[in-house]
Amino acid sequence: MTSVSSILIIGAGQAAAVAATTLRKLGFSGTLTIVGNEPHAPYERPPLSKDALACGDDQEPPIHLREPAYFSENGIDLRLGCEVTALDPERRRATLADGSMLEYDRCLIATGGQARPLPGLEGTFPSLHYLRTLDDARALRSSLRSTPRLIVLGGGFLGLEIASTASRQGVQVTVAEAAPRLLARAVPEEFSDWLQDRVAQAGVTLHLGQAVTRVDLPAAGQGCATVALSDGQVLKAELLVAAIGMEPATRLARDAGLRLDANGGIAVDEACRSSDPHIYAAGDCASQRRAGQADAMRLESWQNANEQARIAAGAMLGQASEPPAYPWFWTDQFDCNIQMLGLPAPGLTYHVRANATSSDAPPRLLMLGVRDGRACHAIAVNAGGDLRALRPVLERNLPIDVNRFLDDNISLRELAKSTLAAMPAQR
Amino acid sequence: MNWIKIASTDQLDDDESMAFEAGGRQLALHRSENEFFVSDNVCTHQYALLSDGFIEDGCVECPLHQAKFDLRTGKAMCAPATVDVQVYPVKTENGSVYVSLPE
Repeated sequence: MTSVSSILIIGAGQAAAVAATTLRKLGFSGTLTIVGNEPHAPYERPPLSKDALACGDDQEPPIHLREPAYFSENGIDLRLGCEVTALDPERRRATLADGSMLEYDRCLIATGGQARPLPGLEGTFPSLHYLRTLDDARALRSSLRSTPRLIVLGGGFLGLEIASTASRQGVQVTVAEAAPRLLARAVPEEFSDWLQDRVAQAGVTLHLGQAVTRVDLPAAGQGCATVALSDGQVLKAELLVAAIGMEPATRLARDAGLRLDANGGIAVDEACRSSDPHIYAAGDCASQRRAGQADAMRLESWQNANEQARIAAGAMLGQASEPPAYPWFWTDQFDCNIQMLGLPAPGLTYHVRANATSSDAPPRLLMLGVRDGRACHAIAVNAGGDLRALRPVLERNLPIDVNRFLDDNISLRELAKSTLAAMPAQR
Repeated sequence: MNWIKIASTDQLDDDESMAFEAGGRQLALHRSENEFFVSDNVCTHQYALLSDGFIEDGCVECPLHQAKFDLRTGKAMCAPATVDVQVYPVKTENGSVYVSLPE
């Protein structure tokens, strides 16, 4: 193995910080530089649409991934508010915005992405917000305090979390989603129906299956923003948030000639290595084929950022790592902690246990997506402990007795144990 | 030490947890590999009850975001938790479980 004495991490988010800490834990003692374009030390993004959006300005929850002193204490050169403008894979060299150069033996691109802008409305408007960064959250928080009404464009995870937070603060919220149901790409129809009831009961108005045909923003903070929908309805509110997806930040990679996948992400192998042997990618900007999946995918999740960063860190040092954890995702909204294990797939039949009505406080629900007698997707509402108990069954793709899953008298811990016990010992 | 009786040993199966209150605190009693442990019940990351969590390998995992705490030391073992959870001395005697709380 050629010796690695300098590693450059581009981006300073979840994946970047986890990669840096993992590299130090694995004993890498060479030059380690993180270059991030935000002014903040690495922080967690999940709270931005929840606690960090609901809090008072002087009560922001601690969201830093590490104490700021960690980086200097561990010899990590953390350069914030600083942009890498070009990568030269041939010379293994990065150019920064100030014209300076950084050489590397290995480079990790962990640039994440940016909020997808509303078509035709590039630029900044006081009544239009996006949410991706801590600064975005602070700006939106301040606007939410004085707005009577809010329109959220996009009924995905982020849009719904923002709707939930705003509605709890007394803002009158409307959500417009182009797909015919909420979370259409991530959950089955049965669950969308359940969640739509829940959202409506919280007093949030939903417009589903309606594309936005026109957005008008008021001039200089006067009047209302209006949104016209394909059925002719016109919505009005003082404030608009567009949560219509994320675009991976791949300009550097593309300009450097790295291979991108059709989903827009930087193509990486199972070790998170890009098409250049010295450059790796992790997190929201990376596209990888997971075991059991036909196509490469970008997994925009906290867990995936952590896992790919961990694997990339090992691989950059020539070390093998444990395979990635089974996909797991959570969202907190409308007093529901919703967790998902595995990935949705075609042809799953969903079975529902503890079928709480959406008006229960707090509701509790567990759904298991089964195909050929094996579960590969599970959704839990306020039942994370139960979902956790089932994890080994899904991880190992074991046959599951659906009737026992549906029997409330059998604990899921018990079901998992007996399912595992019935299998020959193997991992 | 001032020991407070909190449960009988047969009240809790292995790998299970239960919530209780003592000395004005919200606490969780855990049983792992037939040993008993007591911790604060509220996760140090966000409001969630560890008594609803999952026990494995001497740790309790929070039901909300899978933060993991060592039952013996309270140490936060993985993200998203960074702050340890408070744990308390426990003893079992004649089929009863006792906890000692600070004054």
